[in-house]
Amino acid sequence: MTVVLTAAPAAVADSSRGRGPRAGRAWPYLTPLLVLLFAWVYGPALFTGVLSFLEWNLTGAPGGFVGLENYARLLREPEFGQAAGQTMLYAAALLPFSTIVPMFLAIMLWQRPGRTSTVYRSLLFLPVMVAPVAVAVSWRFLLNPLQGLANEVIGVIGLPPMNWLGNPASALIVIVLVTAAKVTAFNMLLYSAALSTLDRRTLQAARLESASAWETTRFIVIPQLHKTTLLLGVLSIVLAGQWVFTNVSVLTQGGPDGVTDNVYYRIYTLGFEFFETGMASAAAAIVLLFFALASLGWVLLTRSNRRRSSANR
Amino acid sequence: MPTADRTRSVAWHVVLIGVILMMTFPVLWGILTSFKPANDIYSLTPFSAQPTLDHYVHALTAWPVGLLLGNTFVMAAGVVIGQVLIAILGAFALAYFAPRYRNLVLTLLTISLAIPPQALIIPQFLMTAKLGWLNTDVGLIVPQLGSSALAVLLLLQHVDGLPGSLLNAARLDGARPLEVLWSIVLPALRPAIAAVSILVFITTWNEYLWPLLVAPRQIDTTVQIGLRQFETAEGTNFGGLLAAATLTSLPILIVYLVASRRITDAFLQSGLK
Repeated sequence: MTVVLTAAPAAVADSSRGRGPRAGRAWPYLTPLLVLLFAWVYGPALFTGVLSFLEWNLTGAPGGFVGLENYARLLREPEFGQAAGQTMLYAAALLPFSTIVPMFLAIMLWQRPGRTSTVYRSLLFLPVMVAPVAVAVSWRFLLNPLQGLANEVIGVIGLPPMNWLGNPASALIVIVLVTAAKVTAFNMLLYSAALSTLDRRTLQAARLESASAWETTRFIVIPQLHKTTLLLGVLSIVLAGQWVFTNVSVLTQGGPDGVTDNVYYRIYTLGFEFFETGMASAAAAIVLLFFALASLGWVLLTRSNRRRSSANR
Repeated sequence: MPTADRTRSVAWHVVLIGVILMMTFPVLWGILTSFKPANDIYSLTPFSAQPTLDHYVHALTAWPVGLLLGNTFVMAAGVVIGQVLIAILGAFALAYFAPRYRNLVLTLLTISLAIPPQALIIPQFLMTAKLGWLNTDVGLIVPQLGSSALAVLLLLQHVDGLPGSLLNAARLDGARPLEVLWSIVLPALRPAIAAVSILVFITTWNEYLWPLLVAPRQIDTTVQIGLRQFETAEGTNFGGLLAAATLTSLPILIVYLVASRRITDAFLQSGLK
């Protein structure tokens, strides 16, 4: 999982420091940053768009301009449609693990501050630390169809052994759960950060009014986390398909029958297994366009929210 | 009602320990298994009666695990040094000179965080190939320096947080920008730089996609990719594989044990405030 985050620290208000005539001297300091940013991020983004109009097999020389042919071929093949559908399925499946589950874990830890909580929090965060391939290898061992622990366990209750990663339903569930551990761990920490800014005195006051523990949580604590929940929910919906990438690549390669595939893994498969540079670029361009529109929508939404809240003030 | 309190307390521990076990079980089991003798590897008892280091000996001698760890370390260290240098210079410039285009640069950086890396791999791969950087450390490191946005934004928060009077005083004293950076900003930023370095090191150590693309050969690649190849080559040797996987996570886990507080803080700062 890439550590892609959040709300612009960008919105630091205009600095009070002089924007003087010295501004020109900033360039030498900014050059490495901007050169690398354009060379390896914005340049490739534009380059992807260009490639999507060319006929090109990665193993050969670049071919000619083919207009929208790559897009047409991409949309004609059923795999891309399925990958898009599965991307949305991942978004839905991971949503509770990035919001409700980590929220309750964080609240539980926060309710009893102390050494034990700190230790538990560190342990809960472990899935973020462990190398993804190490996790995947361990899962492969547990799910081994011949003698794996998972089959031993279901054997105890009399069920026949399963091919966990070869069966569409269980393969999808495994990918979701393996990814969910990491997402839950990470977001638990973000909820903890949000909780640490919460004023405990309000809660004590509520307690004195003889509100139950559940009532204070439900009506005082959770509402104060709404902003965090909204942000983590949106991030999860948008990024879920990227988060599962490594696990899909190591555990199932998109199979069985494309059920664990998604658009990001499809870009990789098209580009680096079928060497279909043009089609892979068309898929990537569609994804980029989607992200451009989504971030535009997010900017407009937060801007109108900000305007509304400042009008209320 | 002390009994109700006690019940609640027990429930609290049970739920949390249960969740921790669920989340860490596969890896925990993998680590325990790596110490079991080969004929006992599928046994259901967590601890073997005759623990052994055979699988580790195999992983380190029959497979180039040491080499892979070295490659991974070089890549992670290179990316940390590169990104942190770039970010220090960039954050300082944006805060100290406050150029008119400051907000434009910030917008470009923030948007770059939202771009899915998988959508850029085709041109990035072609460029790396064209430069002759496939299967090299440079090819593993330099393209990842384009993603310095997070490091810049994190450090910028801290530079912006420095009292303006501090920098202005130095400016009025006629200090050159480089002197201000070196003798005022850098010392004040040391904890933030440590946090950002840890964060970048861990994410780069665990990076999967980029080394898979540009350094797939077993002698040039990182642990994350190398392990996968053992898996297909010797699919049934789970003992060696799990020992190798344990070694893969070990550097990060040791760092985490020593500095878990600082690391969670680093991750926290990367998130929302």
